[in-house]
Amino acid sequence: MMTAIKIKAESVLGSEPADSAQVLRNLGLASKISVRQLNFFYGEHQALFDNQLDIAAHQVTAIIGPSGCGKSTHIRVYNRIYELYRDQRASGEVLLDGENILRSDYDVMELRRRVGMIFQKPTPFPMSIYDNVAYGLRMHYKISKSETADRVEEALKRAALWDEIKDHLRRPGTSLSGGQQQRLCIARTIVVEPEVLLMDEPCSAIDPIATAKIEELIDELKKQYTIVIVTHNMQQAARVSDFTAFFFQGRIVEFGPTRQIFTNPRKKQTESYLTGRFG
Amino acid sequence: MNRLQPRRPTGRKITNLLVAIWSVSSALLGIIILFWITQEVLWRGIRAIDLDFLTHLPTPPGVSGGGMVNALAGTAILTLLASVVAVPLGLWGGIFLAEFGQESRVADNCRFAANVLMGLPSIIVGVFAYALLVVPLKNFSGYAGALALAIIMLPVITRTTEDMLRLVPNTLREAALALGLPRWRVTLAIVFRGAKAGLLTGVLLAVARVSGETAPLLFTALNSPFWPRSLSEPMPNLTVTIFDYAMSPYPDWQSKAWGASLLITVGILILTLTTRWLLRERKR
Amino acid sequence: MAGGEGGFAARPFSLSSQEIKLSRSENPAFSEVTVGLGAETAKRHQKDRVYRGDTVFRGLTAGCALTIPLLMAAIFIALLSYSLPTLREFGLHFFLSEEWNPVSQQFGAASSIFGTLVSTIIAMVIAIPLSLAIALLLVELAPPGLSRVVGTLIELLAAIPSIIYGMWGMFVFAPFMSSHIQPLVKRWLGFLPLFQGPPMGLGLLTAGIILSFMVLPFICAITRDVFQMVPAIIKESAYGMGATTWEVTYKVTIPYGLVGIIGAFFLGLGRALGETMAVTFVIGNSHKISASLFAPGNSIASCLANEFAEATESLYISSLVTLGLVLFVITYLVQVVCQLMLKRMYRAWSVGL
Repeated sequence: MMTAIKIKAESVLGSEPADSAQVLRNLGLASKISVRQLNFFYGEHQALFDNQLDIAAHQVTAIIGPSGCGKSTHIRVYNRIYELYRDQRASGEVLLDGENILRSDYDVMELRRRVGMIFQKPTPFPMSIYDNVAYGLRMHYKISKSETADRVEEALKRAALWDEIKDHLRRPGTSLSGGQQQRLCIARTIVVEPEVLLMDEPCSAIDPIATAKIEELIDELKKQYTIVIVTHNMQQAARVSDFTAFFFQGRIVEFGPTRQIFTNPRKKQTESYLTGRFG
Repeated sequence: MNRLQPRRPTGRKITNLLVAIWSVSSALLGIIILFWITQEVLWRGIRAIDLDFLTHLPTPPGVSGGGMVNALAGTAILTLLASVVAVPLGLWGGIFLAEFGQESRVADNCRFAANVLMGLPSIIVGVFAYALLVVPLKNFSGYAGALALAIIMLPVITRTTEDMLRLVPNTLREAALALGLPRWRVTLAIVFRGAKAGLLTGVLLAVARVSGETAPLLFTALNSPFWPRSLSEPMPNLTVTIFDYAMSPYPDWQSKAWGASLLITVGILILTLTTRWLLRERKR
Repeated sequence: MAGGEGGFAARPFSLSSQEIKLSRSENPAFSEVTVGLGAETAKRHQKDRVYRGDTVFRGLTAGCALTIPLLMAAIFIALLSYSLPTLREFGLHFFLSEEWNPVSQQFGAASSIFGTLVSTIIAMVIAIPLSLAIALLLVELAPPGLSRVVGTLIELLAAIPSIIYGMWGMFVFAPFMSSHIQPLVKRWLGFLPLFQGPPMGLGLLTAGIILSFMVLPFICAITRDVFQMVPAIIKESAYGMGATTWEVTYKVTIPYGLVGIIGAFFLGLGRALGETMAVTFVIGNSHKISASLFAPGNSIASCLANEFAEATESLYISSLVTLGLVLFVITYLVQVVCQLMLKRMYRAWSVGL
């Protein structure tokens, strides 16, 4: 897949950088999420301006940009988590498999099962390791005890955590180390079989070795899930992602295959950011 | 693995809705009770209050007219006397906890004791004042009542003083200390001035707290139908008067009890709302 | 002065024992003379004077703060010493006997302890679910403006003095209970021994209900703090899994703040146990233990309020003080648990997630 993208990357160079739909079409990829005319407001303050973005299915899309540029705000629209705060408001369209999730009659609970989210800090719930993972399963499915146990084990294995904790499933989730906690959160999210994984700077609070593990995991997970990762770490974006979107002041400045963005950015702002001239 | 069978979220949504309804009705119940009480106090109290009520001494049962000006005066005297004792003690104690009490075990214990004392039933404090002053002097007295009230005020003032002094930014202290001023001067001059409104809040809070207290006065200050003449005699006061009048069989007295209830309630609500307002101003 | 500053600023808050000794051994009368002895010595003396003022200041304030624990100890000792005659006369039997007869000088605390516990249990059973629900409304459900208004109103419930609850309880709420609530309860649950006897309005049930309104704002205020202190990111990640507000509260928020919430319950419990005037007005004042919640009873606090001023015989007074001692010990223990819980909570959260 990577080689295919590399070859085709040359052929899309001529298109308008922000037209992500065109980019994916040229590569023959389907888009899992299509964002159209997304504007976002914190009270009176507008944080996102006319965002257009397509997220390719079963690919890793990285969102980069200086802090405060709206990266996190952008993906917090995908599962409508911003709705917890009364003064936050989004307009436009976010299509998940062609359906607009911002419509008020779209079932938020179902949306959040399909679109899982990993946060900046590990957030184990105040319950045992096992229950942390089983929580979402019991919530969303009719499921037997033995089936639950099987699925919990499976999820912990996929999150590369099983071998470390299989003998301590009854311990509280908070007893794990930071990196383990973050993998627990990943296991907790993938166990309900979501289609999309949103990662909001998932490695910002953990050490380099744990970060390496999680990056490995992301590579493994993209076979099954569509992944969107927000990161302020450009090396990380370059390592794990297939596509990269560069945000600046609430606008998407450039989108393209990661390799192209990093080696041959087409916008001045992208280039300055990547070469460390600001941000 | 086999496909999972999704749960329909209807049940979960209904539970959630029921909890929301339960929440709203709980709050409504609380608010209804508040308005029910204040409305009854206002309605029944206002009919008992006239100029006589505020300016005359009580009359014996059966004799119409009369008021409770003596009880008003007595409550004011008791509260004032209690404040005279408790305010300085509390302020100084609060200074210790805030300025010297960061890492000290002594301060930790004082803080802990203050919190516990605030939660102790006020009637226990009454029993203590009885044992300390009433029994040895063989007389119910204003002194005993004021002592009980002062003990109740003390931890409130101490803890609020501490909290308020903590709000004064450390940079202010450091700046003053860097000028070479001794610590006690820094505290008294700068910190106290900076926290003036906050300290006033603490004192008002404590006054609001004790001016409605009845239990600690029942067997310390007792009550009296005369003008307060001496602190070493039983002292008329509003709250015990309410209790005595309410328990009496005379409708006129019961009505007067409502009048006194109105005075107390209005006074305390004003004090409480003032402190809340002061606190909010401070936070800004 | 300039030279002294450095040393002073370096340890402004603590004095070494050596320095204290130094300043004590110094005769203040000399300090005027020593000015002439060279800059070095002058500085030294100025520093000492500064420290001496601070030592006195510190000692004075500490003395004031120490009055509080000393008072606590004094209260305990006074109550205990006045209780001795009763304990000597009746022994353990005092706590088990239901008989309370000032004429025959027989005193037993059982009915008062029973009434205190029963009215408190009723109050907590009602107040806990109500205050949790209100805290949930204030933190999670209501928009901020409404939440502030409702929060203030609920807090005002705590500002109303006990005696006003008593007036309202006796003249308004008890008649309402006897004409509306109790007949209804009797019709549906009358077969239970708990709800026997005439619906008079006054009694343990009414006292418990009024107590619940009184402790509700205290429990609610702390529970609200606890809910607010749960980090937003934890709640977000639960919502992010598709949980409902209730599921987040029940599975995440409450377990996360459990220590603080238990502290809040204990705070309310302590209040309910010692609440005096409101209970005295409505509990009915009878020294009998009855299985029915409709029946009149008494609590430790109401017994003290009713009888203390009239008691003259020393054994009678001593028995009343012993009741007070029992109440003191119970509420003290409850408060200690409460404070430990709250302290643990605030400490855990000041460390952060």
